[in-house]
Amino acid sequence: MTNSPSETATFDLDAFAAEIAEAVGGQARVAHGTAKVVVAPEGWTDALTTARDAFGLGYFSWLSAVDWTTDVEVGDPPAEGTPERIEVLCAVGDLTGRLVIFSTDLDHDEPRLASLVPVYPGANWHEREAAEMFGIVFEGHPQLEHLYLPEGFVGHPLRKSFPLLSREVKPWPGTVDVEDMPSDDAPSTENPEA
Amino acid sequence: MTIDHDQVRHLSEVAVSVELETPEMTLNIGPQHPSTHGVLRLVATVDGERVFDVKPVIGYMHRGYEKLAEVRTYPQITALINRIDWVSGYANEIPFIVAAERLMEIEVPERAQYIRLILTEMARIASHLVFNASYPLELGAATPLFFALRERERVLDLIESVTGGRFHPNFNRIGGVKPNAGGGPTQRKVSQDLPKGFFVDTRAAMERVLSVCDELEDLVAGNEIILARTKGIGVLPVDVGAAYGVSGPNLRASGVPFDLRRIEDYLPYDRFDFDVVTASNGDCWDRWWVRLEEIRQAARIVIQAIDGIPSGPLQAKVPRVIKVPQGEVYVRAENPKGEMGYHLISEGGQGPYRLKIRSASYSNISILPHILEGVLVPDIIAIMGSLDFVLGDVDR
Repeated sequence: MTNSPSETATFDLDAFAAEIAEAVGGQARVAHGTAKVVVAPEGWTDALTTARDAFGLGYFSWLSAVDWTTDVEVGDPPAEGTPERIEVLCAVGDLTGRLVIFSTDLDHDEPRLASLVPVYPGANWHEREAAEMFGIVFEGHPQLEHLYLPEGFVGHPLRKSFPLLSREVKPWPGTVDVEDMPSDDAPSTENPEA
Repeated sequence: MTIDHDQVRHLSEVAVSVELETPEMTLNIGPQHPSTHGVLRLVATVDGERVFDVKPVIGYMHRGYEKLAEVRTYPQITALINRIDWVSGYANEIPFIVAAERLMEIEVPERAQYIRLILTEMARIASHLVFNASYPLELGAATPLFFALRERERVLDLIESVTGGRFHPNFNRIGGVKPNAGGGPTQRKVSQDLPKGFFVDTRAAMERVLSVCDELEDLVAGNEIILARTKGIGVLPVDVGAAYGVSGPNLRASGVPFDLRRIEDYLPYDRFDFDVVTASNGDCWDRWWVRLEEIRQAARIVIQAIDGIPSGPLQAKVPRVIKVPQGEVYVRAENPKGEMGYHLISEGGQGPYRLKIRSASYSNISILPHILEGVLVPDIIAIMGSLDFVLGDVDR
């Protein structure tokens, strides 16, 4: 009735990801127990339909995006040589615990992708969120309106080029009440009991 | 004057065969409504008492944690993510900390893992007790609230005695848990990890929790009104729930033993004996019952954990400045509300390049337009309450 831990321990994530990648014509990468299958944007809905129908991945976990760019207003830039793009990620799984993250790269300035709502109805809100936060157009989405942001909001807040306004007003951490962050060459702490 | 009987009969037949015209009406529920557990607005189109269409309007509590995480360091982020699902604040920290630890390839000491597990299960008990307090109240029964909140207070006291915080513990550190936890000002250099008398108090509290479960079951399960309002109402089929990403007790009530404590290895749950609670009908009643039974299972786990807790250090050796190596990882955990996960992308800095927060309530209430179609207006409250969401967990 339940999945025993030993059952999941024998499950070969690498082989499973490679099998899916072969079926959808993508590339599999497995690291730190997370399986990722990279597919081309044209084959996005086909890949997810295959995952659902042929591999039984009927559980929609989440969909989101990453803005890979050197035009960074907040936070640190990515490593040198990272190609500029919008990466869309979609995690689907099944109810025995298998989970695969599908990934596809879109044009940075005009990202467009076919909507997954016909495949997974749960993608509706996740795509609306990704649309307003990153400026991605999901073609065929039934209701691509703002989800969190008010009507008429200008900009896409999770783009790296979008400034964090509260930080413009007061830098964080505030210099008045917070000590400086320790430098790299400071001694490491050890647990006194260790 | 003669009466034309045919004419009269004709008129009367016309009169009774015309249906009463009830115009469609838009009904706004919330954002300030007690059953919305925060600020959720539902725009319902109703015809009489029948609901045609529901559009949830969210975003009143959106605090932009995913953006904030990009400008914070890893230790600062745990303080933020406590506030996602504040009813079980402690449980939010675990998947994030484990994600960072996986990228840094840190092995957490066993004692720290056990303390994490004990507090996570206590957070589950606290969260489910809030549900058991508020759900009958929404259906009109006030008494269970007092029973449930009294015992929740004991559990929160225990969490506070260890972490110093009732709702927002901010207790986990990368590589372990906060040293000197709950010890207060100590004279000795050696850190005191759990407060004095913690095991005795915990055992007593868990026994009280188990007995209040029996009381709640007597109070609620024997109530005909609650039975009538929840049995067969808001039935959620497994495949529909899965396609919307519904998880946790909401999905288990539909009959599938999908419990990440048995699937993922973020905490050593494989050493404990507990049942994954499932029900078969997937209605409001089953969702209530699954959560009540999960309190009992969580209490079982806590008692086993305090019996078997190993001694040892609380913290692995970590650099003074936390820098996470380049890479990406998705770690998910079974939170009281369902699957909570963090997709962490690091480019080697002191903070994440991107942190996607997958919260349970967000996906759980995205089912609302589907599940509320065609129900009666009073059932909106019964169904919404049974999904057990918190708006902080929806909006992030």
